[in-house]
Amino acid sequence: MLEFQSGSQPAFEQLFARYRGSLYGFFRRRLDGDQRAEDLAQETFVAVIRAASQYEPRALFRTYLYSIAMNLLSAERRKQLRDSPAGKVSSEPASHDDSDAALWIRQALARLDDSEREILMLREYEQLSYTEIAELLKMPVNTVRSRLFRSRMALKEHLEPSRKVRDTAPGNATQGANEAGRLARAEGEVL
Amino acid sequence: MNKITHPDPEELMAYLDGELKADRSKAAADHIGHCAECQELVSELRGISQTLQNWKVEPAEVPMTAIEIALAENRTASRTVPPVHRSRWNWFLRRNQTSFAWAGGALAILLVTFSTVPLHRRVSISSVGDLVADKKRTQLSEPSSLALSMPVEPPPAPPPAPASSSPSSENYSALASAGRLRAQQNQMAASLENPSSDQPPASQAQVASGPMIIRTAELSLITNAFDNARTNLEAILKRHHGYVGDLKVGGVTGSERTLTATLRIPADQLDGALLEIKKLGRVESESQSGQDVTSQYVDLEARLGNSRNTEKRLTDLLRDRTGKLSDVLEVEQELARVRGEIEQMEAERKTMSNQISYATLNATITEDYKAQLQAFPPSTFTRLSNAAVEGYRSMVDGIMTLALFLLSTGPSLLLWGAILFFPARLGWKKLRSRFAS
Repeated sequence: MLEFQSGSQPAFEQLFARYRGSLYGFFRRRLDGDQRAEDLAQETFVAVIRAASQYEPRALFRTYLYSIAMNLLSAERRKQLRDSPAGKVSSEPASHDDSDAALWIRQALARLDDSEREILMLREYEQLSYTEIAELLKMPVNTVRSRLFRSRMALKEHLEPSRKVRDTAPGNATQGANEAGRLARAEGEVL
Repeated sequence: MNKITHPDPEELMAYLDGELKADRSKAAADHIGHCAECQELVSELRGISQTLQNWKVEPAEVPMTAIEIALAENRTASRTVPPVHRSRWNWFLRRNQTSFAWAGGALAILLVTFSTVPLHRRVSISSVGDLVADKKRTQLSEPSSLALSMPVEPPPAPPPAPASSSPSSENYSALASAGRLRAQQNQMAASLENPSSDQPPASQAQVASGPMIIRTAELSLITNAFDNARTNLEAILKRHHGYVGDLKVGGVTGSERTLTATLRIPADQLDGALLEIKKLGRVESESQSGQDVTSQYVDLEARLGNSRNTEKRLTDLLRDRTGKLSDVLEVEQELARVRGEIEQMEAERKTMSNQISYATLNATITEDYKAQLQAFPPSTFTRLSNAAVEGYRSMVDGIMTLALFLLSTGPSLLLWGAILFFPARLGWKKLRSRFAS
């Protein structure tokens, strides 16, 4: 980042290549529609470029990048909330191209508390350390740890039906996942 | 059966996430190795993570248009705007703030130590001229045979009119404060005139580091230019930013006069001042002593710090807690006691700082007395009139003595005369009749 700050184009290309996928994944897992995720990933990089002269490496660049992404994400969510006529935005993205396994995980995640879900996703998908998550969400590291544990335990409970299904059909994982998805959807409808 | 103590499940999770410190990590690994229960938890946690990884996202196609535009803008901006050295420098400063603070602190301590403590050592190496002067000083502290060869300089400057020219015994204590004031004024004036060359006197802030030594010196001189001694002494004090603590000049006609002074001189200038004062006459005796009070000072500081903390805690207690009136009163009494202690210790510290900053020099300057030949003996008339006055005075004195004697003893003499008169007369008559027969 410092190299890019001093004007190096290849440095930015390197940054872009390294974080493009994970940043897109960040938005994709949190928002409806891949088009919007692409746009927001792009906006994040644009923000990085524009703010390059003010960049101060107080933390890892990764944390910096995700803090920009988090800001864009919350702005996007606010915008959706405003635009939505029903005033209700589902944090569960549309499942048009998701596999059943993904859909089912999504639903399990959706049942978690917002803050716990965010911590868990940052840890599992963005692979951030406890310290980075703490810095990003502006909370103590110990809180991050205990919430992460709680969310994992809660998720285990939500995932339990899937396990049971899988146990009944250990030879066919895909089928098991499909069944789990159906079951979860049924559960969602009930709830 | 022994009860197994399981580590905190969160800790096991942190271990799996690689977020545990090395020592705890080892302990957790050891425990998992032989605890089936925890192995189950570990496999559950791993299972959750693996399950979550099943949610895969298709490769990203991040559009580059806006990014390219932004990059182009950025390039233009970096060409027009000066490079980001400033922000990088700011970052460097901010990042190393603590290191800078430490380095600055160390530098300040070094400077203070260098400027306060071993001035006498610096004097010995600072210049050749000073070396010579120092040598002279050493010679002077040797027996007086050497001191006699020392050239006694005449008073260096015309003396300003003294406050009182009377040679009789006088106490100048009242002048001490005026002298101090003058010294301060001179010091201020000197620093205004030439701030770089003039060394400021040791202040209390400078006392805070290095060995803390209370220096005391005794000096006894004999001078044949006694009249100038006091003014010269004051000039020397002025130059070294010292002040007079106490000054007495005494002596009677026909014997030598003596000046006794207690002078307070900034500790780092004591040697220079001594050297100059010694030039006022012949050194009879000289002694110097230094009392190291570092440990007392540090101890005092620590006790002061403790008491301040106690005071703060008590104040917080009073402010934050509510309780019985008796408890509140008790805390207030304790607070008053602690505050009293703090004030006492602060006064003690101030005194000690002053003693460290200002060395005490007890100087005695004695006149080299030469008996004067009486050039004009008194005239005959004066002698006659003196004799007449003396005669008259002794006559008056005699009459007065007799009158006083009669008045004081007369009554008792009369009484005894009355008592003894008749027996004595009877006795006398009997004695006369015996001789007649």
